[in-house]
Formats: sequence, C-alpha cells, structure tokens
Amino acid sequence: MMPLESIPEILGSREVFAEKGGVHWLTLNGMSIRELAKAMNALHARFITITAYELPKDEGFRLEYHWDLDGQLMGFSFTLAAKSIESIFDICEAVDWIEREIHEEYGLEFTGREYEPLLLRQGDTTGVNLREVVIAGNAVAVSKENK
Amino acid sequence: MSYKIPMGPYHPALEEPYKLDMICEGETVLDAKLHIGFNFRGIEHLAETRNHIQVIALMERVCGICSNIHTLTLCSAMEKLTNLTPPPRAQYIRVIMAELERLHSHVLWAGIAAKLMGFKTMFMTCFELREKVMDVLQAISGNRVNYSMNRIGGVNRDIIDPGSILRMVEALELEMARTVIPIFTTSRTATSRCAGIGVLTTEKTIALGVVGPVARASGVPQDLRKAAPYAAYAEMEFDVPVQPDGDVRARLLVRALEIMESCKILRQALAKLPPGEIHTEGEKFAFITGTATARVEAPRGEVMYSVSWKEGSRNPARVHVRTPTFAVMPAIRWMVKGARLADTPLIQASIDPCYSCTDR
Repeated sequence: MMPLESIPEILGSREVFAEKGGVHWLTLNGMSIRELAKAMNALHARFITITAYELPKDEGFRLEYHWDLDGQLMGFSFTLAAKSIESIFDICEAVDWIEREIHEEYGLEFTGREYEPLLLRQGDTTGVNLREVVIAGNAVAVSKENK
Repeated sequence: MSYKIPMGPYHPALEEPYKLDMICEGETVLDAKLHIGFNFRGIEHLAETRNHIQVIALMERVCGICSNIHTLTLCSAMEKLTNLTPPPRAQYIRVIMAELERLHSHVLWAGIAAKLMGFKTMFMTCFELREKVMDVLQAISGNRVNYSMNRIGGVNRDIIDPGSILRMVEALELEMARTVIPIFTTSRTATSRCAGIGVLTTEKTIALGVVGPVARASGVPQDLRKAAPYAAYAEMEFDVPVQPDGDVRARLLVRALEIMESCKILRQALAKLPPGEIHTEGEKFAFITGTATARVEAPRGEVMYSVSWKEGSRNPARVHVRTPTFAVMPAIRWMVKGARLADTPLIQASIDPCYSCTDR
C-alpha cells in the first residue's frame, strides 16, 4: 500500500492530508484539475466520482473529486468562480458519465469535451438546474397535500 | 453496409428502461451508445427535503434489491457527522444483513442469467433458492425487500435465534454447492453461451473505474470489505474471488464463488455474534457541520455516499450517491463491440445492471 504521506510532495503541495469525515483531504497549491488527474493516473489511483455542491447566496459551486488508492479515499476540492471547469475526460475516461450528469443536473460546463445526447433527462433540455426544479416541485406537492 | 439497431428503452430482453443503440454489420456489433435517464427520480435532491429519519426511508428506495446497502452506507456517513458508534452486536448484524443481501442479489442474477441463456430449469432452481434467502431476510426483519434494518447508531431489529438462521444458511450453502455452482461452472450450455463472450480487458476495466464482481472478473482484485473494512468485516476471514478472463463466464464464476464466500462470512458472523445492545440506547445526538463520506461493497460493487449537514438543520444540505452500476454500465459499450447481436442481452445482463440505482 502506498503511504499517503508521500503524495503531497508528488503533487507539489506543501500541505499534508487531513482525514475528515472518512476522506483524506489535501489542499492543492494552485494545481489544476487536469494536472491532478494526470498525477492520479501516474499513481494508479482509481477515480470514484465528483460530488457537486451548490453554494449558498450565489457563491457558485464546489466540486469534490474522489480517488481511491489501495482502499484509501482521497478528496480534492475545487471552487468554481464561474459555472465551468476543465474536463478531464481525455485523461480519465471514468469521469464521462459523472461530468455529463453534473452538466445536466446543474448546468455546469466541463470545457474541452463534447457531450453525448442527454444522459439523465431524455427529451428535456440542458442548462436547467435540476436541483432547483426537484426541490421546488416537492414544495408544491407538499403544499397541495397540506391543503 | 452498417445499420443501427435500437434496443430499448422498452424491450423484451431488458428488464427495465434503458436504451442501447447498436451499430451493426451483419450480425456483428461494431459500436454502441448507451442511454439512461428514462426514470430519473431526483432522489438526491429530494433527500434535501427530508429529516434524518425520513431520509433513511427515502434512500432505502434507491434500489429494490440492495436497499439495505444504501441505508447502511447512508447511516455510516451520518454516524460520522453525529459521532455515534454502533455497538459491536449491531456491527455484526449489519454484516449478516449485507451478506444475505449479497446472496439474494447474486442468486437472483444467476436466475436471470440462466433465463437469458435459455436454461429455464436453472432459472427455476435459482429462484427457488432466492425464496429461501428471502425467507431468512423476512425472519430477521419482517420484510422481504425494504428491510428497514439500519438506523443512526445501529440497527432496528435483533437476531434473536442465530442458530435457526445458521441452519437456513447451511441448507442454502449445500444447495448452492450441490446444484447451482457445478451446473454453472461445468455445463455445456453455460460454457457455450458465456465463454469468450463480452470480454472486458483488465486495462479497460481500470481505465473506466469499473467496480465489484465485474472488475474482479477482469482480474482487478478490489473489494472494500478487504481494502477498507467497515462494520465487522475486519473480524471475518474470507477470500476475494478473482478471474482473469473478463468474459461473461468469468462474471458467472466470480459471483458463484462469492456466494460460497458469503456463506462462509455468515457462518462466522452468526457464530461470533457478540452480546449487547443493537443501537446506541437513549443517546442524544446532534449533527455537526460538515461532510462525511462512507463506502460499502454492495453486491454489484462499491457504493459511496457523501452527506453534508449544517449544525441545527433538520435536513441534510446534500446527499450524493455513487452507485456501482453508474460506474460499471459504461463498460457495456466495450463489452458488446465485436459481439454477436444475439449475445448482447446476456452481455448486458452479465454486469447485473441496476437501472433503479442508476436513475436514482
């Protein structure tokens, strides 16, 4: 098993991994997501998923990328000022569906890739924040039930 | 001349809505595109409108087969946000439920695979065995599908008589060893329909981040029960079956061998079931602000939950689920390339796809 302690240096980070909530988090010193993806490939880490968070008060979005290395779960956080980030699909094939899903759920753009037709909402359109649609729809349904 | 054959979203060879557009030349598939989302339910977002009790019931419905795994993973993540540790007996019961669910899932899959092979008697045998597993699950939880076993800090129901469950497991193991496994591993029908069909190479498995039995059948020995043990798995002795061939037969063999390993784990867990409470009795808890993540080896592979909470909030701020089928299903494109059209239903079924999990 590769020790996590040796990885920050490989990634050019002066920080150390901090375990929180079951994930080993590392703060990157300006490393781009594409550079990170290349480094993860070189380490033979397995990509797991990207978790998207919509931040409050129009602060944008945060994307958390997760990789597994010999059973150790690593997390890297990227805050998006605009609604776009570079795609890593050409570096890491495993991100295909989750990039497409986030694109369709939140209207985020993963630049530098082409999208297949809709993954989640057949016959619908992209660029709609599905989270807002579902939560608003649920509020209407609950209000009707209460009446 | 090539032509396109759409399979699905409603098709006799597919159990649930999903579409595979195949480009064929003669009987050979040249390429394929997958389409999901015909029943996308927005469950992750609905979870943000549920409190800590309601969200367990909601997430149990992500999957109709591995429902217990979803609540186990969710509760494990929520326990990290509430600093609750389930008592040892609860951890063992979680292992028992998880392995029974694996048996249920693998035997169900074996039945469906047999049906797609045109092996109807084997289909009947597998479904008879599945009933026996479901009888055990019902004896423990009172339910056949959504067991409502997990809660924050433990489990809802105890195993009163481990001896009776053990006898059921032994009968099941005997039947598996006597009929299912020998037939699947040695019969000419199974071999001719499965060997060399739908191959996924080790390199492609790694590149696509494939998980679970499909990865293990392509020579990738990953299993969270070993690599990152949870519940009481660190105290269990078992092997992780791996096959190098990457074809449908290898997937069949891996799951057949996993059935035997699950029985081995069940016997250990039932024999060593520690005394004591089944949940943190009367302990008040509160959620801290933050995100917690939990991973579990479901019957189809790794499930991951990321749960975010704000202190004082009734509902989670975010629940993200990465289901195994979501990671495995893109590999179908590579499995069907070069395959005969007639083999594609079996190839698709060989990943044991869960469309319900994918369209969560």
